[in-house]
Amino acid sequence: MKVHYYPGCTLKEKAVNLEETTVKAMKILGVDLKEPEGWTCCGAEFPLSEEKISGLAAPARILRQVESEGGDKVTTTCAFCYNVLKRTNYALLNDPLKHKRINAFLKDDIKIDHETKDKSTGFDPYHGDVSVVHLLEFLRDEVGFSKIKAKIKRDLSGLKVAAYYGCRLLRPYSEVLMDKPDDPSIFEEFVESLGAQVVDFPFRQECCGSYISVSEPDVAAEASYRILRSAILGGADIMVLSCPLCYYNLDRRQGLIKDKFLEFSGFPVLYFTQLLAWALGEKISTLGFNDHYFNPRTVLEKVVKSEVAQ
Amino acid sequence: MRVQIKMEDKEKSFIQKVAERSAQNIYACYQCGRCSAGCPFAFEMDILPNQIIRLVQLGQEEEVSGSKAVYLCASCFTCHSRCPKGIDIARIAEAIREITEPKGQDHFGPDDVPLKWAKDLPQQAYVAVFKKFSK
Repeated sequence: MKVHYYPGCTLKEKAVNLEETTVKAMKILGVDLKEPEGWTCCGAEFPLSEEKISGLAAPARILRQVESEGGDKVTTTCAFCYNVLKRTNYALLNDPLKHKRINAFLKDDIKIDHETKDKSTGFDPYHGDVSVVHLLEFLRDEVGFSKIKAKIKRDLSGLKVAAYYGCRLLRPYSEVLMDKPDDPSIFEEFVESLGAQVVDFPFRQECCGSYISVSEPDVAAEASYRILRSAILGGADIMVLSCPLCYYNLDRRQGLIKDKFLEFSGFPVLYFTQLLAWALGEKISTLGFNDHYFNPRTVLEKVVKSEVAQ
Repeated sequence: MRVQIKMEDKEKSFIQKVAERSAQNIYACYQCGRCSAGCPFAFEMDILPNQIIRLVQLGQEEEVSGSKAVYLCASCFTCHSRCPKGIDIARIAEAIREITEPKGQDHFGPDDVPLKWAKDLPQQAYVAVFKKFSK
């Protein structure tokens, strides 16, 4: 099985543990990931102002590249990228003015035939037809959760997991909506397919602070703490998520959270692909846990007894 | 919240600019407060989201430009998802930031990043914060 895969800039450097475990896990599941050639940063934030249409050029270009390589679908694990790409398609499909302007940018991109100096040959507008699917959707719909279940090598039945969605996988509901807004369940179904238990916690769709952690660290720390506390009160052993910035706010900033909220003593937070790769048999030492502020290893090894893949 | 509203201060062009840039019907808001109730950063804001909308409706540009609330918006869209009129308050916040930020000035720029975080921050955080809060 082959699919186009858009990692995004953060995965190649700061979120290497998300990228590597994704690739490893997909290999085990028999999925070949192909990055579109010459991909760039997607822009991280979907431009919300009618004046800032140029911010849509980069994501449109990425999608156009996927289309020109014969792909009808692109998958991604980064919630920011997922949000931007999906919303770009929606804008192209529903807003004729944006469609016109974005394609004007794309047209400017194509190479000029220096003989004829003719830019207009061979330009096909991009209409927003490449589907953007989050890896969780891809695992559910193309690979199948039952196929994953069949390949699980560890007994995770004693592990209680808090599946954290955050905001960018779901909202704005009319455009993104990875799952039902009132009660999303795709992440929980994924966790159950690994054989682990799911815990309910009311803060699973709340914002972790996002980029506010750069400009107002204390405010973001409070937002992140509320989510961690909710997961702990729900009885979770670990939290899984799908966004490098959420990971940064909920794990890497735990030092700041501890300083502000003295009752907090740390909590393991990991990418869903780290858990997936481990459940599929990868060694715990290869999952990039050394990058974490709170290394999940001790908790995982305590709850799931055997290191050796069964 | 005590605000003195003088009709001479009502900046019609301000309301129009915000409405155009955000592509939202500012007058659709009937002040139910659900946005403010759900906003994860409302606890730190000087003026709440629904109050910002009210001030825009009344054309009170000066009040709105002085507030730090729009710089606490993380674009999480909780407000938009809760609004019974479907108003996209995050877009209104973005429009306000664009209109009220003095020209050539960054609200939060590269020089403002605390050095202790600088090496650690994920790329997407940099791109996002500068996109939202700097020129």
